[in-house]
Amino acid sequence: MPKIKYFMQESWLLIVSSFCFGLLIAVTDAALSERIEQNKTDKLNNLTKALLSQAVTFQPLDEEFQVVVEAAKKQTTKVYKAVSETGQCVGWSFNASGKGFADKIELVVAVDKDFQKLAGFNVLISSETPGFGDRIKSSYYRAQFVGAPADRLKLLKTGNPADIDSDIIAITGATVSSQAVVDIMNNFLTQIREQMQQKGLLGNVGQ
Amino acid sequence: MSDNNNRNRTVYKSALLAGLWRENPTFRLLIGMCPPLAVTTAVKPALTMGLSVIFVLVCSNFVISLMRKLLKPHLRIIMFTLTIAAFVTVCDLFLKAYAPDMSEILGAYVPLIIVNCLIIFRAEACASKSGIIISILDAVGMGGGFTLALCILAGIREILATGKFFGYQLMPQAFVPWLAMQMPIGAFVTLGLLLGLVNTLTRKKKI
Repeated sequence: MPKIKYFMQESWLLIVSSFCFGLLIAVTDAALSERIEQNKTDKLNNLTKALLSQAVTFQPLDEEFQVVVEAAKKQTTKVYKAVSETGQCVGWSFNASGKGFADKIELVVAVDKDFQKLAGFNVLISSETPGFGDRIKSSYYRAQFVGAPADRLKLLKTGNPADIDSDIIAITGATVSSQAVVDIMNNFLTQIREQMQQKGLLGNVGQ
Repeated sequence: MSDNNNRNRTVYKSALLAGLWRENPTFRLLIGMCPPLAVTTAVKPALTMGLSVIFVLVCSNFVISLMRKLLKPHLRIIMFTLTIAAFVTVCDLFLKAYAPDMSEILGAYVPLIIVNCLIIFRAEACASKSGIIISILDAVGMGGGFTLALCILAGIREILATGKFFGYQLMPQAFVPWLAMQMPIGAFVTLGLLLGLVNTLTRKKKI
């Protein structure tokens, strides 16, 4: 018993203030979490809208998509159905991520309604080197993906970036980052399309 | 009576002004050196970081000054860390809710304020020994000095690396950006030169 008494004597301030600070954080979180979530969805929607200009709303699909990334690690991602003003499906978008040069790169990728052509991508999160790998956000690099076939892409060091095909021309001085984006695309595009076909989501749209 | 008042005023004034120049945390004491190197690629994130540090410093100094008579010597460091961590979490949530862009740029560096030794140093050296008013003035002064240092560094780096200041074009179109200034080496070189300048300015004259 005396031990507990001694323990309480010494540490009551720590215990009491832990509770107080915990409460403070809980209250702040409760007050702000809605806004933080809203910010996240707003950002995602804005970035996706820039890719699919006709889309008005994005409805998340109920199905879960498992994508195998490097070393047999599985990742779950959500696919959004882009719906136009008249209620028609104008495309699909999903989040894709993978290893970049510095850290994880997270992209939002959009494809057309038949999953045949890419509508492009935008960078959600990346910490690539400013001035080099950072240029995966540049229009020079991103424009190459708009209209490219939604299938295996290949990174080349030289070529004409204006040609819209499955060949993507790397950014000078940032081959690793360019390759990372292409790898992420290849990984997610093929696997998600396969799963969407299996689930019969694409067939319906085609008809 | 008025003598006492005058003395108080001098004490308050020196508590407030010490951090700005004489004991500037970045240029004179060289503590808390992680943010000056990491978040000074542009003025906006640097200013956000500085204001966050001022907020955390004022709150933690205030709370620690309140509980200074209850602190047990062997438990004081854990109390400081607990207090600082609580306010940093609150600050991080606020940034995520009201300045999502800045929160994204600063990334892990906001939670890292917890281990910024400037704050724990002020808690140990000032707040746990002095009254509330002195502690708050000290926090404002030290935080202000820190923010000032961050902004000077970030200003120089932003202008040289992008030709802009606070997002506005400042340099003529012909200016070739120094990409190196945006990378870690830019931070080290700028900081080194500034420290040299400050040392030259404050060197005591030989008699």
